[in-house]
Amino acid sequence: MTADAPPTYSVQELNGAIGSLLERGFAPRFLVQATASRPQVKKGHLWLTLTDGEASITAVAWASKLKQLNYVPADGEGVTVVGKLNFWAARASLAVQVLDMRPSLSTVLRRFEAVRSLLESEGVIDPNRRRPLPQSPQRVAVLTSVPSSALADILRTARERWPLTELVVMAIPVQGDVADRIKAALQQLRNASAGLQPDALVLARGGGSREDLMVFDDEELCRSLASFPLPVVTGIGHEDDLTVADLVADHRAATPTAAMVALLPSRDTAQLQISERRRQLTNHRSWWTERQRQRLAERQQSWQELSLPSVLIQRRSQLEQRKQLLQALSPQRWLARGFAILESPSGAVIRSVNAVEAEQELVVRLSDGSIRVKAQSTECDPQSVPDVAPSDSLTP
Amino acid sequence: MGPRTTKDPLKQWRKDAEALSYEEALQAADLLLNQLQNDSIPLTELQQTYQRGQIYLDRCERLLEEVEQTVLQLDPKTMTTAPLDAGGTR
Repeated sequence: MTADAPPTYSVQELNGAIGSLLERGFAPRFLVQATASRPQVKKGHLWLTLTDGEASITAVAWASKLKQLNYVPADGEGVTVVGKLNFWAARASLAVQVLDMRPSLSTVLRRFEAVRSLLESEGVIDPNRRRPLPQSPQRVAVLTSVPSSALADILRTARERWPLTELVVMAIPVQGDVADRIKAALQQLRNASAGLQPDALVLARGGGSREDLMVFDDEELCRSLASFPLPVVTGIGHEDDLTVADLVADHRAATPTAAMVALLPSRDTAQLQISERRRQLTNHRSWWTERQRQRLAERQQSWQELSLPSVLIQRRSQLEQRKQLLQALSPQRWLARGFAILESPSGAVIRSVNAVEAEQELVVRLSDGSIRVKAQSTECDPQSVPDVAPSDSLTP
Repeated sequence: MGPRTTKDPLKQWRKDAEALSYEEALQAADLLLNQLQNDSIPLTELQQTYQRGQIYLDRCERLLEEVEQTVLQLDPKTMTTAPLDAGGTR
């Protein structure tokens, strides 16, 4: 054989060689972003065509895998497929064997928009339909997967925030095509409501990709939520993830934790309110006591003014003044200093020597008594100026 | 409810308060506060009113601090509840 001579095969050898080459030389696992076309289930297996507008290839999800798939595309939906090559040597036919299939983000968002506009047009999504949340719920029903970090967040937040509220947890699957099961759980909860009497429902799911949350865009599930007899709070995914369930809910919280914060009162705030009331009680007591004391003081003052009028005080002091004046003018003071008063026996005061004759009987009045005397003689002082006439003497 | 112990009304009030929920106790305290601020409590009852108010508020505080949250799990098959087992967290 020359170096350039092509190899010779039988058909079986040819196909076998191609098959081996593919097995050895092609990636054992790969991802394909494509549009699913005309999916059909034949004999339990799902057959579809993957296309991107330029080219297409057949894909198959074997029955065993189909059971496990969380998502089955509708015709024309964008998908992401994890696959491997299947090559049938007998007929040299090729297909992508689906190991996993997920909706592309655009598929998810398109479904979201479709369900949203439908429910909006029917008034099922309506901000005016949103019911107010109970102020102080006694019991809250929680639908979420058990165990899960969402549940852990919910339990921790509830315990911190308001331990007085009772929680009733009902486990639901939250991954994959489980809308029917969630709907069934809702129905069971409705049936149990009469007995349990919860005040609100929390539907929660932890964070994931937006495609993971597709179940919460399911039309029938959302109708069921919208008509649920209790206020519904959703806490689904991350802050930016919005699902149709969030739109029909009475309150949409960004996360499971936020759902509990929205629903339950704050223990810290309540503590402050209690302290405030204690303060008001104490303040009232001191205010009241002070006010009573003031009133009493005012009354006492009024009484004082009535029983001791200032006029009386004034009069008394005036009286006191006159007394003192009188005392100052009284002759007793002079007598006490050693002066004497000369009187006739009849008590008339003698002020002039001209009123006295020799041998006349006189009375000398001192501070502590009187002396009877007889005048011996009189002598007139030439310097003095008589201010009374000799006959001018006081007679009784 | 039996006859009130007039000898120690505080004890009776505390007992009464124990039967109240948080909201009921808070409301009772608010009612008393309102009456005080409206001047509708006579002098002889003032001290009692303050004490009762504080007792109701004590009840509220104790509930907030001491209550262990009740968490139940609903079994859909039997539709009965049972305490959630510790496997509720990851």
